[in-house]
Amino acid sequence: MAPTPDPNSVGGGAKQDEATVKVPSKDPKKKDEKKEEDLSEEDLELKQNLELYVERVQDPNPELQRAALESMRQEIRASTSSMTSVPKPLKFLRPHYGTLKAFHETMADSELKKYLSDILSVLALTMSAEGERESLRYRLIGTEGDIGSWGHEYVRNLAGEIAQEFTKRQSEKAHIDDLMELVQQIVAFHMKHNAETEAVDLLMDVEDLNQLLEHVDKTNFKRTCNYLTSAAKYLPGPDDMFVLDISYMIYMKFEEYPNALQIALFLDNTPYVKQVFTSCADLLRKKQFCYMIARHGITFDLDDEMVADDDDREALQDIVNNTKLSEGYLTLARDIEVMEAKTPEDIYKAHLLDGRASSGASADSARQNLSATFVNAFVNAGFGQDKLMTVPSDSTTGSSGNWLFKNKEHGKTSAAASLGMIQLWDVDSGLAQLDKYFHSNDNPIIAGALLGVGIVNCGIKNDCDPALALLGDYIDNEDSSVRIGAIMGLGIAYAGSQNDQIRSKLSPILNDAKAPLDVIAFASLSLGMIYVGSCNEEVAQSIIFALMDRSEAELGDALTRFLPLGLGLLYLGKQESVEATAEVSKTFNEKIRKYCDMTLLSCAYAGTGNVLKVQDLLAQCGEHLEKGDIHQGPAVLGLAMVAMSEELGIDMEIRSLERMLQYGEQNIRRAVPLALGLLCISNPKVTVMDTLSRLSHDTDSEVAMAAIISLGLIGAGTNNARIAGMLRNLSSYYYKDASLLFCVRIAQGLVHMGKGLLTLSPFHSERFLLSPTALAGIVTLLHACLDMKPIILGKYHYVLYFLVLAMQPRMMLTVDKDLKPLSVPVRVGQAVDVVGQAGRPKTITGFQTHSTPVLLAAGERAELATDKYIPLSPILEGFVILKENPDYREE
Amino acid sequence: MFINPTRFIRANHRTSWNPKKKKAREEEGTKLASLPSLQARRLSVLTAKMLTVSVKWQKKVFEGIEIDVTLPPYVFKAQLYDLTGVPPERQKIMVKGGLLKDDADWSAIGVKDGQKLMMMGTADEIVKAPEKAIVFAEDLPEEEQATNLGYSAGLVNLGNTCYMNSTVQCLKSVPELKAALSNYSLAGRSNDVDQTSHMLTVATRELFSDLDKSVNAVSPSQFWMVLRKKYPQFSQLQNGMHMQQDAEECWTQLLYTLSQSLKAPTSSEDSDAVKALFGVNLRSRLHCQESGEESSETESVYSLKCHISHEVNHLHEGLKHGLKGELEKTSPALGRSALYLKESLIDSLPRYLTVQFVRFFWKRETNQKAKILRKVDYPLELDIYDLCSEDLRKKLEAPRQKLRDEEGKKLGLQTSAKSSAKDSDVKMTDAEASSHGSGESSTVTPQEGASSEKETHMTGIYDLVSVLTHKGRSADSGHYVAWVKQESGKWIQYDDDHPSLQREEDITKLSGGGDWHMAYIIMYKARFVSM
Repeated sequence: MAPTPDPNSVGGGAKQDEATVKVPSKDPKKKDEKKEEDLSEEDLELKQNLELYVERVQDPNPELQRAALESMRQEIRASTSSMTSVPKPLKFLRPHYGTLKAFHETMADSELKKYLSDILSVLALTMSAEGERESLRYRLIGTEGDIGSWGHEYVRNLAGEIAQEFTKRQSEKAHIDDLMELVQQIVAFHMKHNAETEAVDLLMDVEDLNQLLEHVDKTNFKRTCNYLTSAAKYLPGPDDMFVLDISYMIYMKFEEYPNALQIALFLDNTPYVKQVFTSCADLLRKKQFCYMIARHGITFDLDDEMVADDDDREALQDIVNNTKLSEGYLTLARDIEVMEAKTPEDIYKAHLLDGRASSGASADSARQNLSATFVNAFVNAGFGQDKLMTVPSDSTTGSSGNWLFKNKEHGKTSAAASLGMIQLWDVDSGLAQLDKYFHSNDNPIIAGALLGVGIVNCGIKNDCDPALALLGDYIDNEDSSVRIGAIMGLGIAYAGSQNDQIRSKLSPILNDAKAPLDVIAFASLSLGMIYVGSCNEEVAQSIIFALMDRSEAELGDALTRFLPLGLGLLYLGKQESVEATAEVSKTFNEKIRKYCDMTLLSCAYAGTGNVLKVQDLLAQCGEHLEKGDIHQGPAVLGLAMVAMSEELGIDMEIRSLERMLQYGEQNIRRAVPLALGLLCISNPKVTVMDTLSRLSHDTDSEVAMAAIISLGLIGAGTNNARIAGMLRNLSSYYYKDASLLFCVRIAQGLVHMGKGLLTLSPFHSERFLLSPTALAGIVTLLHACLDMKPIILGKYHYVLYFLVLAMQPRMMLTVDKDLKPLSVPVRVGQAVDVVGQAGRPKTITGFQTHSTPVLLAAGERAELATDKYIPLSPILEGFVILKENPDYREE
Repeated sequence: MFINPTRFIRANHRTSWNPKKKKAREEEGTKLASLPSLQARRLSVLTAKMLTVSVKWQKKVFEGIEIDVTLPPYVFKAQLYDLTGVPPERQKIMVKGGLLKDDADWSAIGVKDGQKLMMMGTADEIVKAPEKAIVFAEDLPEEEQATNLGYSAGLVNLGNTCYMNSTVQCLKSVPELKAALSNYSLAGRSNDVDQTSHMLTVATRELFSDLDKSVNAVSPSQFWMVLRKKYPQFSQLQNGMHMQQDAEECWTQLLYTLSQSLKAPTSSEDSDAVKALFGVNLRSRLHCQESGEESSETESVYSLKCHISHEVNHLHEGLKHGLKGELEKTSPALGRSALYLKESLIDSLPRYLTVQFVRFFWKRETNQKAKILRKVDYPLELDIYDLCSEDLRKKLEAPRQKLRDEEGKKLGLQTSAKSSAKDSDVKMTDAEASSHGSGESSTVTPQEGASSEKETHMTGIYDLVSVLTHKGRSADSGHYVAWVKQESGKWIQYDDDHPSLQREEDITKLSGGGDWHMAYIIMYKARFVSM
């Protein structure tokens, strides 16, 4: 088509309106006249006909009028199919819009007037000035019924005008019944014609999503829900919750239970979860639900209402309790053939550095051994064997037998606890291995064994509560290192469980005047973990009192930060619920007040993507402070926590963090690498990698340390060769600086975590769900990293083990109906965003075919490459039960 | 009564705990579980006070274990001891609300019939700390940490003292000099050494030992003070700051002072330690072109000069250039001063050969010191055979042949395995190997105290051990840095207080021709062969 100046052609909304303002109606007329000579005979005839109709319409004879209107209507309807230009009849009728409009005014109410209204309504599509909403006006006084016959474009335009009219009428408090009737028609039309997104948009505009339930059917509910759930991320509260509610109901209506469960988990709505169980009768599907709950890491008890049979319930509860996680993980490891234990030297790969590594020192360096302990623990996490700690004790030949004692004092705590990490998730063997350390007469070793018990039990629940039984007695031990070991162990083992028994044991510590600060700090953290996201008031009270009781000197201690953090964790992701507590925090000593404020704010809105909170936090970071204030650190972390939920937010955040690096004060710059680490955790984006690599050579050693740790975090569990290379070079660059070298080693351990089978990302199920315990673990570590020297480089290095809360195998393991591993071909590729796309678009791109179990990297998705089986969950992550396809035929 | 149940279990499968038969027991685990449980249940019906529970221990489950609730839990533990071999005091049995206590009351615990209990505990040996406490590097005294590091500390710049710092670092790398200094004492002081020289010598000794002991940078303030006292020219001020000085001057002066003070009191020529280490004897032939007369003279210098002119691209050429010269001298034949050509050859070789690149010169036109930036390559291994005098060459022949043989063998050209093994042994021990070589070849007895038996021979081949570089365009500014090869074979760059590891291939890149560090003084160490 020639570029005819048809500013009013396509699309509703702003584009059209803007154009109409610029080009008054007379202008196109002139051009039309100019072009008249160019018109083909056919067009000329059409034009003349239409002009004739327009004249006839104004004829006093109603018969002629009717015939003319009818013909006009026919012409318009016959030609509205094209989307790229204004249909010819509309174009030719345009000059007569004013005439017809004027005539319409003069007409008496009649059927004919309604007909003319219809036509005017359609003409207004291209003619109406902005804000006039003439199309809608004429529609409302026109004939009722089939609006779809005028074409999609018309309906779309109408929808836009309805939205405007709706807001207007709402502010005037006028009635909206006639509008709603029209809405219903439009929604029905859209839903039938693959335009679910438009239907949803309109309903959101007129705030009547409930209607959707009537219109969805088997063919379009998936696309509808998909659009709803992804739109929820960008909606302000409480609309988002409502939208998710609707999609939950739709999923339930069509018995798409796994998706419904996902939303129930997202809403943290236990009755909904129960409803999923009670609505579904199939045991196998229930097992799949249990796997999903287990991955989310919440404590959930099945009752006989959900599963009637006792044995079945026990089997299902076992799945929820994650008892088979270790088995599945080891199946994956055996399949990928990475069972062989790795030594820290295998990770450092010093031989690749040209002669720069320092010569073999004759004496053991306590710090280097400590870092080796951590590297060994992270790398061999969950494999049950390693080459330092689990070497049989009878082979005391050589140094390996006594690795524990190659660590100094508090280092032994981390060393003993590393055994728990190596035996991760395997409670039975883990406890057996740790047992002997309980009988040691060395307090740090006992502390480590206690912590180890907690780590082994992380995410695993057991009827016998071994962790509580074993650790309970040590909470009031006279040695504070043993106490911390037990307290931290409980926090890790029972994170998210809201166990009252533990609360009654830990709460008194908080308000014990004699307890040392570090014990109180860890007790607060553990309570925060156990009651994460629960808004439990009693716990909050205890922590608040503990904070108020602290002396001025204690408030200045680095560990004090764990008190507000514990408080913040209680409200993790709970948004407004934090407000009462935030109000109380304003009464705190000014030394901690702002820190507490920022921590509470950032925790409460973690993972919500709330733009207003991002702005609040940015404003805090923009201030240039007098010395001594430390609250900007948590504010920067908070930015990452709030924004981390979706891709767009992450990208924007990365950019604004870059600004902060340039203009921020030193205490902000120190937190920026950590925020970047959180945003891209276990997702090594090249741009972020480069930024961190640059910062790792920063002149401020704290910035460099944070950047190095963050390099480890973004590469955690990926075996990323590029990061590994960077860290190796850093290890030779910083070989003389013990502190920085320690950070480099830790980062190296993180990158090779679980030999590349693990992820730290708290997001799962296609980045939809956020595991609160996992986030709690990461955030705790990051807060500790805000002040490295006294905590991680001091004697509390075992806070690194809080990461265990976020450690999950990044696998897809298919099991048969007996829950035995079943190998099937799957395609794994980059996930494609298919929200709002018509038809059945491909969900992955650039895929490769593997057989399960497979590893899934960040942003990857799997799909079955065979029709022989049907997965019981649409989200192919973690454990997936496969059912045989009854329609499958062998070729 | 309590023996009853244990015997009952034993009777059923007749396996008592034996750690060596762990595997066998595991296989039997299933039998054990199924067989007694039925009978046990029947029994529990008979006696109402019996509870049947299953106990999970490690990966095994023992089913159908009876508890007599009238007896204390210790009895139950004894039963488990029979099954698992874990002594009761090591057993930890998890029940609701904590661990099962030996004297607890069963009714209070609320164990139900058929409940699963979990037991933790092993018969493993309890870990004990190693008898010998492990020593950590962090706990070591500072000097040991320094040895751990593999190189010594840097020197603090006291304000334009990099020339001095780099000189000290280069000289410190000569172990023989260090040894000589450590033997120096007040008593050994000869009378002809003045007070300031003595002080400087002592200060040098102290500084060297401080450097060896310390991990962190050492401040050479004492040494600097004494140096300025002895040589006031280093105290020049410019804008209130001490001026940058010529490292070569510092080097020469310091060596001179040391050579004076380290002379043995017996003052025999040979016992001059410094001279023995660094001194090069030159035999010069003077030839007057006008009269045609010739004379020869000998002199002793501490360093060779590498003159840099347009033709000089390599150290060797520069050295040759430096050994030739013209000078005006009164000619006895002509009765007036005439131009003489002087050609020098090396007559005896030092253990440490110092070469100075003559990069700075006085530019007459501008009346200022200028620097030659020309690139002059130098090798890591220097052979100065062709700079030696005839006599010396003869002496060198035999050791060089031997060295070549050894190297040939090393490269795999051995003829007989037997002899090569022996030879390579000798090679390994190098300087220490004793051999009664003939006195004809140039023999150097290492240091004063060395036994006469040990004889090693110069080969005329030298290995680079330290480089003192200057960076900058002019002589009065810029920066001096020392690059020193450690005993471990690693190169360390001493940039004032900041030592850092360097690669060997980077050392040869200091040859000038740009704005990078360029070699100013380099020091080679003689390679010996023992015969």
